[in-house]
Amino acid sequence: MNSDSAVIALESVSKRYGSRTVVHDLSFTVDKGEIVGFLGPNGAGKTTTMRMIAGFIAATSGRVCVAGHDMATENVEAARLIGYLPERPPLYDMLDVSSYLRFVAKVKGVPRASIVAELERVIAACHLEEVVRREIFKLSKGYRQRLGLAQALLGRPQVLLLDEPTAGLDPGQIHETREVIRAFGDQHAVLFSTHILAEVTLICRRVAIINHGRLLAIDSPSGLRRALEETHRVMLQVSAPAADVRAELLSVKGVLAVDVHAIPGHPDVLAVDCQVEPQQGLEAAIARAVTRRWDLHRLERQQPTLENIFLRYVNAPTDDP
Amino acid sequence: MTGMLAVYQKELASYFRSPIAYYVVAVFLLGTGYFFLYNVFLTGETTMAGTFQNMGILLTTLVPVISMRLFSAEFSAGTAELLLTLPLDPWQIVVGKYLGAVSILVLMTAGTVVDLVPLYLFGMPETTTILAGYLGFVLLGMACLAVGLFFSTLTDNQIVAALITAAVLLGFWFVGHLQSFQRSDALRGLVGYLSFSLHFVDFIQGLVRSEAVTFYLVVAAVALTLSANYLKWRR
Repeated sequence: MNSDSAVIALESVSKRYGSRTVVHDLSFTVDKGEIVGFLGPNGAGKTTTMRMIAGFIAATSGRVCVAGHDMATENVEAARLIGYLPERPPLYDMLDVSSYLRFVAKVKGVPRASIVAELERVIAACHLEEVVRREIFKLSKGYRQRLGLAQALLGRPQVLLLDEPTAGLDPGQIHETREVIRAFGDQHAVLFSTHILAEVTLICRRVAIINHGRLLAIDSPSGLRRALEETHRVMLQVSAPAADVRAELLSVKGVLAVDVHAIPGHPDVLAVDCQVEPQQGLEAAIARAVTRRWDLHRLERQQPTLENIFLRYVNAPTDDP
Repeated sequence: MTGMLAVYQKELASYFRSPIAYYVVAVFLLGTGYFFLYNVFLTGETTMAGTFQNMGILLTTLVPVISMRLFSAEFSAGTAELLLTLPLDPWQIVVGKYLGAVSILVLMTAGTVVDLVPLYLFGMPETTTILAGYLGFVLLGMACLAVGLFFSTLTDNQIVAALITAAVLLGFWFVGHLQSFQRSDALRGLVGYLSFSLHFVDFIQGLVRSEAVTFYLVVAAVALTLSANYLKWRR
């Protein structure tokens, strides 16, 4: 990560409300041309972080920089370069879609001559053609979400901040929204938060996992997977006495822990769960050890999914009192 | 400047696409019409003095309805998160919105000009006195709207904003009556100076005093400055 190319840079950012700390010492960067997924359970501090980057709230300590502008002092200058979709789409119910977009375009400084073209561009990108003249309070949830996204795309900002952009959309719309984000991320910096893990693997170059306001990990989806391979597991089913199979497996080099339990409805078969070191050929060694004395019914190495990774990081004990 | 203008236009559009503007203007014109008939036809005097006095108190009760939504509605609808992250200085937002509200004030004031027709048809009113009254009325309205705008930045609940504004404005309207209870000259002077209605009386009598003009403008400026700074601070 080169900090010169970083479009979004957070340096030990904290946000406190009274005695409650919502974001703890958070540092990360997002580069130009990069899509970063922001992952965390509800209440993890995602929205607060997004709001600090967008300049809606100020950090209690630390520094938030967007395109070289310190958000504490130059937030108005930086705002020209940011497209922001808050968690709740910020729509004026009384306006119609086109006047709403026109208002945002004017404030964002889109030149008068190109406003019409710019409106057409975002309306097409977010598939809003059918509702251009409709009042916003009459729009469905999916349209509201997409209008919020359209608003954020106006003026081709360098930075796109999207707080759960696919919430409330149907599967087809989710797919279209992802395509919009992907296309936009080619030339811009995109940070978007989501609960949907699959979404992150599909379009993000890097994933930041946050919980209790702390950054737990930031890496590529495959990098996160690799980091967890050291706690790989091998699952097997075998017909054998429990104590013997445990002793046998623990004697295999590389097996760290063995957990044996019965399978309901199959009295003579045991399910065995081994925690192993991430070395090659370990399954073969385990298989050899077991088949020497008993019948092996099944053996598989479990790949860590992003789900597992996420849960592991989020459930890991923290230093919190 | 473009940003402020865009905020102003958006504000006006929101007023006219909701029932608020129509409601306020209608109530105000009906009320003013009633007071006008009462004052002129019952007394037979061809002046606007009594009507202006009634317009003033009617205004203090209608201003909260105009101003309550200015910021409270933005906070409750979540649009504040857009407005405050767009490339706009809080000043541009505050002034743009304020001018939107002032436009409604000017519109409802203009509507009362109808009342002047019978006045000129059947009598000989003093034009300069009437003009001074209108000037005072608009200045009074501008001060009240700025106060209302400030209270609307403090809460996301429009009703709360309206109630606080109404209480404060009525307080400033009637504070002059406390004069008779004060022994010390300084307190009497202060209470008199703070009174929205005592300054207004000068205008109604055709007296445009720079002190009164300054008073309303300073009240408006202070309230708007507080609002803009509060918006900066609350980040």
